[in-house]
Amino acid sequence: MSDAILRLIPIFIFFIFMIYISVRQHIISARAKSENFSKEYYIGGRSMGGFILAMSLVATYGSVSSFLSGSGKAWETGFGWVYYASANVVAAFLVLGILGKKMALVGRRTESVTVVDVMRARYKSDLLANICALVIIIFFTTQMVSQFIGGAWLFAACTGYDYKIGLVIFAVVVVGYTVIGGFTAVAITDTACAVVMILGTLFLGYAVLDTGGGIGNIMDNITKISEQSVATGNGPDLLDPRASGMIPFELFLSQWLLCGIATIGLPQSQLRCLGYKDTQSVHKAMLLGTIVIGIMLIGIHLIGTLCRGILDNVEGSTDNVFPTVIVRDIVPVLGGLAIIGPLAAAMSTIASLLIAGSSAVVKDIYLHYKSVRNEPIEQKKVARVSFSITAIMGIFAFVIAINPPDLIVWINMFAFGGLQTVFFWTMIFGFFWYKANRVGALCSVIGGLSTYCVTMALNIKIDEFHNIIIGLGVALILFIIGNKFGEGMDEKTAKIFFPERF
Amino acid sequence: MAHTQEPMDDLTYKEKFIQINKEAKATWYVGALTFAVWLAGGFGLYLIVGNEWTIMRMPAWFVVGTLGSWIVAIVGVQYIIKKIFKNFSLDENKEEDK
Repeated sequence: MSDAILRLIPIFIFFIFMIYISVRQHIISARAKSENFSKEYYIGGRSMGGFILAMSLVATYGSVSSFLSGSGKAWETGFGWVYYASANVVAAFLVLGILGKKMALVGRRTESVTVVDVMRARYKSDLLANICALVIIIFFTTQMVSQFIGGAWLFAACTGYDYKIGLVIFAVVVVGYTVIGGFTAVAITDTACAVVMILGTLFLGYAVLDTGGGIGNIMDNITKISEQSVATGNGPDLLDPRASGMIPFELFLSQWLLCGIATIGLPQSQLRCLGYKDTQSVHKAMLLGTIVIGIMLIGIHLIGTLCRGILDNVEGSTDNVFPTVIVRDIVPVLGGLAIIGPLAAAMSTIASLLIAGSSAVVKDIYLHYKSVRNEPIEQKKVARVSFSITAIMGIFAFVIAINPPDLIVWINMFAFGGLQTVFFWTMIFGFFWYKANRVGALCSVIGGLSTYCVTMALNIKIDEFHNIIIGLGVALILFIIGNKFGEGMDEKTAKIFFPERF
Repeated sequence: MAHTQEPMDDLTYKEKFIQINKEAKATWYVGALTFAVWLAGGFGLYLIVGNEWTIMRMPAWFVVGTLGSWIVAIVGVQYIIKKIFKNFSLDENKEEDK
């Protein structure tokens, strides 16, 4: 049997397992769906326990680019990049500890199923809700495309099959299990993905240490390569936190904002605060999420750096570091196990974005306008529309990924920071600033997002800082200014969001 | 009211929000502490001893700044969960709430 087929065996077993989970969930939840389809399909009836909450949060957050591009950068620049990436460790506990319980309580009172539902309940603005839903649809789609590309590319690099074949198999599995199973299936498959991502990371770490003859040998090699690079001026000092200036200090601070504090503003993370069942779950998830995110994100970048001790040159982009090591140094079936980690990272991110993106269309737009017009809501019809929209969005992202236009790649550069610019202040102020009002929120969202995108597009920067500083800064200032022109909440809303004031 | 393994406080909707505000503040503090350890243990240590110190053959600034800040985050979260965070029902459970 060829090496490529041997590598495929564990991957296919994993794919079949994911489909099985989804079909099983579809059957189990049939009754609950017949009573309130959107609550069951889009938020899983608020039933997530601590373990699934933590794993699903981390799996959604950890993307295929952390595994490929991140590890490649760590290979190139050394320990500084791992140190840089470690800002991610706060990404699980901040959002859960700060927004987690308030969103859970308010979500139950206002029967919110999506982040936009919460926003609509707080600011009472359809314009704001529509902009936010649109931002989610556009940015989630481009992010899905980039995950499809990463997953299929990895599949092709490690098995030797064509990129398009990888993409088709990959898309059928991910879109299939998301459409069939809805939010709960996504949360459970995310958990399975997180588990294999951890196992993949540990396994890859072991394989690299074993190939390199232990940490001592690897460090000797890295030190030697680093000294040569510095002497010849051909590369950075791999043992310098700033990698000989390749990672400026300003970029470290930006990273703490983009991948640390402002992750509170990622709607795909916030959404999880609406879906867990009790306070024990959120406490457990804060702890477990922090442990797991460290193993995964510090681990994968550290392995990237250690790969430098066993691999001095890489052909093409540095994204090739892991695929090269997997194909060259790991026996095929075990290599298949190592590939599942990054593939799972892509799958879990796509599935979560897809179900949340679909909810933005169905719940935030379609069902909202039906209820505004007092039209009756038939659960069977909602089910048909939800399945169709989820499938259409998934297939759309897949079709774009076959031959991605530059425009999509370009828009995706704004996605991560753009989402944060829109959802960071609006949600934080929505829950913690009594006087925050819809005019402030609208100014912040429109002004912050456009400034962020324009400065990104025109490459206008403040020193070496990432533009997220500009995006969040402008969004904050405009919120405060705009807020002076709006009216406060009505008493009913205030009693839901700020009962401590009464 | 549903009791689970851990003790659950019977709070009103208003009391829950007062409690959550304390919890959110404590969470920010753990975030700030993690950043401080990251900065002092990483850049701080590198400025003082450069690459002279190593831990497990790796640069000490890297181990303390990266793994140290991660461990501080884990211990910090564990601490606030035990000492500051409270369990309560997420559903409405007191007569006055209705």
